[in-house]
Amino acid sequence: MVVDPAHGGSDAGARGAAGVLESDVVLNFARVLRLALEAQGVRVLLTREGNQDPSFDDRSMLINGLRGAIFISLHVASTGPVGTVRAYWYGGVTGDLPEAPATTGARAAAGRPAAATRAGLILWNRAQESHREASRRLADLTQIQLAQKFRGSPEVPEPAPVRQLRTIAGPAIAVEVSSVAVSDPGQLQQMARPLADSITRAVTDFAAAGVAPSRTN
Amino acid sequence: MARHWKIAIAILAVFALAGGFTFPALLRNVLRLRRAGVTEEQARREITEQPISTPSDAPGKAQLFWASATSAGALEATEVNLPLSADPTLRAKQLIAALIARAPSSAQRTLPAEAELLQLYVLANGTAVADFSEALPTQVPSGILSEQLVVDSIAHTLGANIPAISRLKILIHGQEAETLAGHLDLSGFFPVGAPDAADAATPSAASGPQPVAGAPPSASGITPQPAPTSPR
Repeated sequence: MVVDPAHGGSDAGARGAAGVLESDVVLNFARVLRLALEAQGVRVLLTREGNQDPSFDDRSMLINGLRGAIFISLHVASTGPVGTVRAYWYGGVTGDLPEAPATTGARAAAGRPAAATRAGLILWNRAQESHREASRRLADLTQIQLAQKFRGSPEVPEPAPVRQLRTIAGPAIAVEVSSVAVSDPGQLQQMARPLADSITRAVTDFAAAGVAPSRTN
Repeated sequence: MARHWKIAIAILAVFALAGGFTFPALLRNVLRLRRAGVTEEQARREITEQPISTPSDAPGKAQLFWASATSAGALEATEVNLPLSADPTLRAKQLIAALIARAPSSAQRTLPAEAELLQLYVLANGTAVADFSEALPTQVPSGILSEQLVVDSIAHTLGANIPAISRLKILIHGQEAETLAGHLDLSGFFPVGAPDAADAATPSAASGPQPVAGAPPSASGITPQPAPTSPR
């Protein structure tokens, strides 16, 4: 499983008046989530371990080289009711996605997704296309857990064309916490553990439904 | 009294009279701008920019979508009196200009006051291509939720008022941008359609533009989009 603390380096993401930086908060979230997932026997990779800023494609490459892995991108919003959390799957756009050279690997011609070329290769810029349904199921399961842990959160996830998700060839969601507008940065730190528990439970349920992330031996 | 003194006094009297007539209106405008909490840029624009006017303009009611005053993270339809052109391209420009300039309050604003619509085209296949200034990505609050509100606010407003537009492409300063403000993918097209009545938020009691009656918004307040079609 790949956990993506968004932003990093010179890109701090959302900034709060109390000095909260999205890039710092999500890195902490990712570390706590990794511990929770590893406790369940799930092998976890982070797209960044410190204050680096890998490109969207660098982050995608980390998961697109793995089989059966899932991807969760962590964010903190500038807006929204403080203390709520939303899950998103890639959607909300229509047709004519840009084309690019195929790079993500071969697929059988039978049942080839729309994003696949005649050679059975998957177009990098449309890599998520054939995984949208799995991503939607993962988002559903995650939002159910989030709604229980974080009062005021929606009960169903939303489709949103989150750039990072488009080039992921596997189940992928974004989770966004509201928000950097907290008066006390400790409020966000306190959300790390229940957030990790919610996502871990959702990943476990998702695996039980038939799509298992890579496990350590 | 010398003749030139009489002329000077007469001119001053004319200026004083004109000032007496215009000062109350000027004062009202200044107080209104202060109440709305507008930025210097928006105030400058209201004073210096002329509204988009076309020969086919007819007064009408337009549905504009701003952030809900009562439900955070949701959009709310508001009915606004606007001169609307019969031409879809010009009408779309009028609507987006109004979205920027006439937000009911700073809290309900979806597009930054500094943002400027540089150009807009409506293609024969129903695609609206909207080109915004750099202020849109630099001034919009970073985040999936806030960036989605920007796009939905434009797409819903166009969809509710211009049936000829079916999808939206956003450019930044004439170029295709990778993201709006770090999150939302701008490489594709956003579906445009009149949102369901169920997605219009409950009317608010705010003064100014009259909200449109409707049912409460969905959980997020964002209209569920149809499943994306296969790329062509």
